[in-house]
Amino acid sequence: MRIGVFVCQCGTNIAATVATDRVVEAARAMLGVIHAESIQYTCSDPGQRAIIDAIQQKDLTRVVMAGCSPRMHETTFRRAVQRGGMNPFMLEMVNIREHCSWIHPDIDQGTLKAIDLVRKGVARVRRQAPLSGSTVPVTRAALVIGGGVAGIQAALDMADAGIPVTLVEKGPTIGGNMARLDKTFPTLDCSSCILTPRMVEVKNHDNIKLIVNAEVDQVRGHIGSFEVDIRRKATCVIEQKCTGCMICQEKCPSRAPDEFNAGMGESKAISIAFPQAVPLVAGLRKEHCRQFVKGRCGVCQKVCPADAIDYEQEDEIVSGAFGAVVVATGYDLYDWTGSYPTYGMGRYPDVITSMQYERLLSASGPTGGHVRRPSDGAEPQQVVFISCIGSRDESVGRPQCCSVGCMYTAKQAILTKEHIPDSQSYIFYIDIRAAGKGYDEFSRRAQTEFGALYIRGRVGKIYPRGGKLIVMGTDTLAGEQVEIEADLVVLATGLTAARGAGELARKLNISYDGYEFFTEGHPKLKPVETNTGGVFLAGACQGPKDIPATVAQASAAAAKVIGLLSRGELETSPVVAAVDRNRCVGCFKCRDVCPYGAVEQEQLPGGRAVAHVIDSLCQGCGLCNVACPPSTISLKGYTDNQLIAEVVEVLR
Amino acid sequence: MDDLIATIKQVLAETDMVLGWTRSAAAGVAVPARFHTPREAEAAVFDSTCVHNLAVHLPRLKDRRVGIVAKGCDVKSIVQLIAEREIERDRVRVIGVRCPGMVDVKKAWRCFGFGKKVEDAGGQVAMEGKTVAREEILLAKCRGCRDAVPVIRDAAVGGVQGQSVAAAGELAGIRKRFASMSVDERRRFWRDQFSRCIRCYACREACPLCFCRDVCAMQTREPHWTGGGVDARQSEMAQLIRISHMAGRCTGCEECERACPVGIPLMLLLEEQNALIEELFGYRAGTDPEATPPLLTFDAGKDAGGGGL
Repeated sequence: MRIGVFVCQCGTNIAATVATDRVVEAARAMLGVIHAESIQYTCSDPGQRAIIDAIQQKDLTRVVMAGCSPRMHETTFRRAVQRGGMNPFMLEMVNIREHCSWIHPDIDQGTLKAIDLVRKGVARVRRQAPLSGSTVPVTRAALVIGGGVAGIQAALDMADAGIPVTLVEKGPTIGGNMARLDKTFPTLDCSSCILTPRMVEVKNHDNIKLIVNAEVDQVRGHIGSFEVDIRRKATCVIEQKCTGCMICQEKCPSRAPDEFNAGMGESKAISIAFPQAVPLVAGLRKEHCRQFVKGRCGVCQKVCPADAIDYEQEDEIVSGAFGAVVVATGYDLYDWTGSYPTYGMGRYPDVITSMQYERLLSASGPTGGHVRRPSDGAEPQQVVFISCIGSRDESVGRPQCCSVGCMYTAKQAILTKEHIPDSQSYIFYIDIRAAGKGYDEFSRRAQTEFGALYIRGRVGKIYPRGGKLIVMGTDTLAGEQVEIEADLVVLATGLTAARGAGELARKLNISYDGYEFFTEGHPKLKPVETNTGGVFLAGACQGPKDIPATVAQASAAAAKVIGLLSRGELETSPVVAAVDRNRCVGCFKCRDVCPYGAVEQEQLPGGRAVAHVIDSLCQGCGLCNVACPPSTISLKGYTDNQLIAEVVEVLR
Repeated sequence: MDDLIATIKQVLAETDMVLGWTRSAAAGVAVPARFHTPREAEAAVFDSTCVHNLAVHLPRLKDRRVGIVAKGCDVKSIVQLIAEREIERDRVRVIGVRCPGMVDVKKAWRCFGFGKKVEDAGGQVAMEGKTVAREEILLAKCRGCRDAVPVIRDAAVGGVQGQSVAAAGELAGIRKRFASMSVDERRRFWRDQFSRCIRCYACREACPLCFCRDVCAMQTREPHWTGGGVDARQSEMAQLIRISHMAGRCTGCEECERACPVGIPLMLLLEEQNALIEELFGYRAGTDPEATPPLLTFDAGKDAGGGGL
């Protein structure tokens, strides 16, 4: 056994509180160590060169690399020892930076601990065996979940690179929340003018298959080879036949809430969300339809010139094979009506959300772009905007910043002035967050050019009086109470994860935080990856963000998928569980706890049933190791004996 | 007893054997027996000395159709074995018996002398003229028993309502005393207890849920969790391995402690752990055939706050 130990100084990151020369000295005395040296920056090219030279000159068979966290550079050093001619898994990373030098001020104690850690690493690498992964073929197709701007961008980028893409959208049309916006900050370009052409491009792209009114039902498989069942929900309209003429909507006698217009105005039980919808196909909502509620109507079926109505239509499962998945499920608006009792909890018709206001501003909205307040249709003169509803508010359990509220409120104040020149906007705010390119200039223009009055403080109470809404708040800069007679109050509601995000995450085996936003692989270095290989994130499903950031992330996710699918096959990690068949008692507790379905039953000649691990499904999480009573299933490279040896060395 | 014998005979018609008890002439108490024929079944008995948990045999007989005479607490082991899919429900016929509470045979012998025939009489236990209140020589687990009624049964003898002994568990008192001891005191206590262990593995062999047998982690050298020596530290490691492997699985049948030839109070640790599992997961092993043992499942939803997987 010929072990080499390399102790990184990491400049002064490690050397300041760990005497690396003393660690080298101590390492030389450890069993099996024939080479030890200290290197200033081991991850640098000359540093890696030194490892390779030592391997070749001294014929090393195992390497202990004492430096930073393996999360940082394990791959770097595995490649280095491989270039030196060794199996890459005969390397052990010992973390003497995050776990030692950075947290211990005393050089003597830091050094002693570093020596303990290195001794532990040497004990472990002595019990290491060479590992090699297998290869699995890659399905050259991608699934995009969610048809908002993130999903559209990712789908188009991948499709343009020649990858067959299936885009699944829960609603009847793609476009997402962006399609409902009137203008976008900070340029005030028309949202649908920039989005609609992209939506049409999706529809017409040879490489994109669009499935609307559909959700992911089941996910099996793993990176490079996912099998996904997609449930297309019955809409009672045959998509291939519908021409989008909207005669059914015109003649339908059943009124229904207008979801696209955020509840402003009314729609019909059979309808097309908006004129630019893609696909331009009607859908029927059974819960509002007379045919289904009362059992008789049939008007749409009679009037449809394309014979596209089918009341008997049932949910349909569409299955597909994909090499990678991009999740772009976006956001929903925070539902404020349950938690702000002093704002009327939705009882006052003229207290509306920012999205509802957006629809009042929009030319395609229920008022044709004329701002009319819901109660009496009057044009409001005094408009009060209140920031941070369901954001930065611990009292409702939502501490995070929605990251777009300040900007869209400034935008809506500007648009209000443009629509109603003699109006006055008041904006209650906590801080103005305008960190993007051109954002601060934009929110200042709202004040200087468009006369919006910013009041720093919270609104305590809103109540109606004589056709007006009395808004009582505090101006914390002036230190006085403020009372405004408003015609309309717009709440800048925050962004929450899309409804059902957690459930989808569980199907995909990806992590999510306490607010059901999906967790990226690494906050800095893996912003679009997840902890499940082959599943990537785009847009607000990962956390609140604005359109430019969403589009950038979607393109990044697409680039990751393109890179992944450009390979014909994938090398799987060799760090997977393995069963010692001779000692397996066949209790299958490993199978019970495996989150990836990676354990199956194997019948041995003679009839004994033992556990067997499917390498390509195993993610190396180690749950089976813990559940196995006789410890016969273990993780390659992390065997019980290796861990025991480490513990024994630390306790020595 | 006729009722019991008749029931065993009925069950024998559809099984290969019935596990039950017969009386040992030499010891004066009931001992386990396997009945294969109606004639053999004539010797079946059930009384306060049928302490053994016969479920321990079931995993070894999993390819046979087996009938088993079982007290409420024994049935918990059967339920747990089914929940862990160690045995198949369809292959087992459970004859539930009305349990009067089991006597600690060692205590009984201390009262009456070894080998005397133990007679059941109402609330008393009699031996050749001498009587003693059953309460006084009951097993610790029978005091404050919560599980006298068998949760699954295919046949019943003597009514299954069982008898819950009102007296608070002896163990509960000891555990309370234990909680007031310092960590150092407790460590010394257990070092002392485990220093007596002779590594005979009787605890494991008597346990219905210890089915790993000769690959058991407390004994094997691969992986090398503990040595085979009988010094207190190695024995302690071995015992703690077994006890941690019982988390969420131990039904509290006390067989390990009863089998221990050197009197290590294993139930003290196991009941502490059982109480913890009940508190954390609302789960008592062996009480619900439909429940999934909490440590033998993976619920991603439970991790929502900490980030899924």
